Amino acid sequence: MADTPAPYSGPMLTFISGDGVHIECERDVAERSLLIKNMLEDLGDANEEIPIPNVNEAVLKKVIEWCRHHKNDPPSTGEEDDSRRKTTDIDEWDQKFTQVDQEMLFEIILAANYLDIKGLLDVGCKTVANMIKGKSPEEIRKTFNIQNDFTPEEEDQIRRENEWAEDR
Amino acid sequence: MRHIPCRSAFHIHGERNQDATEHDQGSVPAHLIPIPTAVLMPRQRQPARFSSEAPSESSTSSTSPDRTADEDTDFFTAQANDSQSSVGVATRDAHPHHDTDLYLPPIGRLPPEILIAIFAKLSSPSDMLSCMRVCRGWAANCVGILWHRPSCNNWDNMKSITASVGKSDSFFPYSQLIRRLNLSALTDDVSDGTVVPFAQCNRIERLTLTNCSKLTDKGVSDLVEGNRHLQALDVSDLKHLTDHTLYTIARNCARLQGLNITGCVNVTDDSLITVARNCRQIKRLKLNGVTQVTDKAILSFAQSCPAILEIDLHDCKLVTNPSVTSLMTTLQNLRELRLAHCTEIDDTAFLELPRHLSMDSLRILDLTSCESVRDDAVERIVAAAPRLRNLVLAKCRFITDRAVWAICRLGKNLHYVHLGHCSNITDAAVIQLVKSCNRIRYIDLACCIRLTDTSVKQLATLPKLRRIGLVKCQNITDASIEALAGSKAAHHSGGVSSLERVHLSYCVRLTIDGIHALLNSCPRLTHLSLTGVQAFLREELTVFCREAPSEFTHQQREVFCVFSGEGVNRLRDFLNRIIPPPPPTRDMETEATMYDDDEELEDEENQVTGLMHATAATAIHDDDYIDIGHTHG
Repeated sequence: MADTPAPYSGPMLTFISGDGVHIECERDVAERSLLIKNMLEDLGDANEEIPIPNVNEAVLKKVIEWCRHHKNDPPSTGEEDDSRRKTTDIDEWDQKFTQVDQEMLFEIILAANYLDIKGLLDVGCKTVANMIKGKSPEEIRKTFNIQNDFTPEEEDQIRRENEWAEDR
Repeated sequence: MRHIPCRSAFHIHGERNQDATEHDQGSVPAHLIPIPTAVLMPRQRQPARFSSEAPSESSTSSTSPDRTADEDTDFFTAQANDSQSSVGVATRDAHPHHDTDLYLPPIGRLPPEILIAIFAKLSSPSDMLSCMRVCRGWAANCVGILWHRPSCNNWDNMKSITASVGKSDSFFPYSQLIRRLNLSALTDDVSDGTVVPFAQCNRIERLTLTNCSKLTDKGVSDLVEGNRHLQALDVSDLKHLTDHTLYTIARNCARLQGLNITGCVNVTDDSLITVARNCRQIKRLKLNGVTQVTDKAILSFAQSCPAILEIDLHDCKLVTNPSVTSLMTTLQNLRELRLAHCTEIDDTAFLELPRHLSMDSLRILDLTSCESVRDDAVERIVAAAPRLRNLVLAKCRFITDRAVWAICRLGKNLHYVHLGHCSNITDAAVIQLVKSCNRIRYIDLACCIRLTDTSVKQLATLPKLRRIGLVKCQNITDASIEALAGSKAAHHSGGVSSLERVHLSYCVRLTIDGIHALLNSCPRLTHLSLTGVQAFLREELTVFCREAPSEFTHQQREVFCVFSGEGVNRLRDFLNRIIPPPPPTRDMETEATMYDDDEELEDEENQVTGLMHATAATAIHDDDYIDIGHTHG
C-alpha cells in the first residue's frame, strides 16, 4: 500500500473518459472496479480501449488514484462491511483523498457506484454522512445548498411523528 | 399499502411521476444512464448496490442475543433478503428540487440508492430525523431507514412510536416501514394491549419479544396474523404462549427462518408439526425447555425443513435416539446441534447413522449431560462429522480415554472442547489430544480428577489457548501454573499470553507463587477463579474478588474467590507490591498491541460459532455451581 507503486510489469489498460481523454491504468488497479474486472473476465484479454462515457477525466483520475492506493486491500466481504457499517471512521489517506469540493465528491461517488468499487463508494458515503452528523436540518440545508420544500406545518408534523428519534 | 390513509410519500411520488421524464432528462443519475458500450454490462445486476452483496444468513437468526443487540448494523442484510422492498417508500425520490427550474445543488445528482446508503451510515436516529426534515426528497429516502428498526428501548419512545404507527393521517405509512421490532427492553411492561397498534405492521421481518413475559397468545397472534414477511421470531420465555400462537405462525409465516420458543412450556408436538409442514425455510430452531416436545415433532422438522442449520433441543427430555439419527442423516446443512440434557439419548442414536454419512457442515455438537453417550458414540460422531469445531461432552461421565483418542482425529478443526466431569480421562489421553489438536482455544477438564501436572504442562503448549478450566483437578500443583505462565500460549504473538480465562477453583494445592507468575505473564487475563483454594482465602486478597452471587449460601460465600476484569489487575498489582515480581519471562513491551491481536482471534473464532454465544450461559458450565453468575468475558 505504499504511495509509490512498485515497478509494475503487468498488462496495461486504456480508458477513454467521457470527455474523450485517454488514460492508462494498470490492470490490477483497474480491477478494483468489479464492473471492469467482470468485463475483463468475460472478454478474456482485451487490448481494446475501454470507454467510460459518464466519467470525465478529472474524476476518472481521482478514481484511479484511489484504486492504486488500495490495490492491495483484501477483497471486501459482506461480514467485514457489517462491522464497519456502524462507524463512519475513515482512514487518514482516504480522509485526505476526499478533501475535495462537493461537486467532485459526488462525482466520485457516482463513478464508484457505476464502476462498482465498493470501498470507494463506502468512503464517499461515509464522508457525506460525516458532513451531516450533528447538524440541524437548517445547517444541513446550508451545507448542501438544499431548498426547504416543506411547509412549516409539514416539517413540524414530521418532527412530531418521529419524536422518538430525538432520544439520544 | 393502499389502504393506509395518509399524506405520504406516495402522495409525493404522485406529483413526481407526472414530471418524471422531464426530470430524468434534467439531471441524469448515473444508474439511469443507458450503459453505452455493450462490453460494460455488469453481471446480471445493478451497478454497485453494495447492499445486495451481504449474505442473508446472518439476518435470520432470532435466537442470538448478541445479534439482536446490534441489529441496527444489518439494515442492508435484511434488504438483501427482501429484494429491494425494505426501504419502503423511499426508492424513487432522489431529487429534492426536481420540480423547479432552480439551480440543482451538486448533491441533487445522487440517485436514491446512494442517498439511502449515506443515510444508512448515520447511526443516530436524531441525525436521521434531521435529514428527514431537510426536504421532501430526503424525508422520503430517509424515513425507511429510520423506521426500519424503531428503537423501543424505553417506554416514552414506545408511546411515541405506537402513536405514530396508529395515526390515520400520518405523513408516512410508518406501520409499513417497520422491518424489525424488538420489545425485549420493555420486559413485563408490555401487555397484549400495548402491542395492538403494531398489529397493522405486517411487513415486520424480525420480531423479538424476549422477556415480554406478560404477552399471551392474543398479543403475539395480533402481531403475527397477516404478516407474510416474518423471517425471525423470538418469543423465548413467554410462558403463557400455547399451540394457538404456533398455529398462527404456521398459517401466516411461510418465510420464517428463525424460531426461538425457548421456555414456552405449553407448546406441544401438534402445533410444531404444523409449523414444520408450513414453514419449510426454517434455518434456526430453538426449543430449549419446551418440555412436551417429542420425537414426533422433531422427525417432522427433519423431514420437512431441509434448510435447518441450527437446532437446539436443550432439556427436551422426551426426545430420543430416532430424532437425533434423523436430524443428522437428513439435514445436509446442519451446523449446530445442541442436545444438552436430552438424557434419553444413548449410543444407538449415533451407531444407527448410515455408514458413509459425512456431515461436513456440522461444527458444533453439545451433548452435555447425555450420560448414556459413551465411547462408541464418540468414535462414530467423529467419523461422521470430521469438521467439528466445538464439542461439548461435559458430564458424559462414562466416556474414557478411548473417546478422547477418537476426538484427536478432529485435529486442527477442534477449537473448543468441554470434557468436564468426564472423570475417567487420564493424562495419556490429554497429552495425545494436545498433540493432535493444537488449535484448541478453549478446554474444560473440570473434575477430571485423575489429571496431574503432566496434563497441564502439555496443555500449556497449546499456542492459541485462551480459556482453560481445571476446577477440582485436585492433583495439580504450582508446577502446572508455572507451566501455563511460561507456556507457548504466553509466547503467542510476540510474548503476550493469549490466556484470558483460567478456572482453578478447588485446586487446593495451589499457592500464591504460581498464580503470581501466571498473573505477570498473562496481561490479557480477565477471569481467574480460585474458589476454595485456601492460599487465597485471605482478606487482603479477597478484597479484589467479585461479589458472590446473591443466591449463594453463607458456606459458599466463605470460600468464594473469583477475580474478574479490573479485579485481576488489582490482584496482580497488589501481589507485585508485596512480593517482588519474578524475573520477567519475556519482554512486556509488546503489550500495547495486544488488543488488536485479540480482536483478530475473536473474529476468527466467531466465524462459525453461531448460536454458541447465545447459549453460553447455560451450555458451558465453566465452574458449575462453583462460580455461577459470573459475567461473561
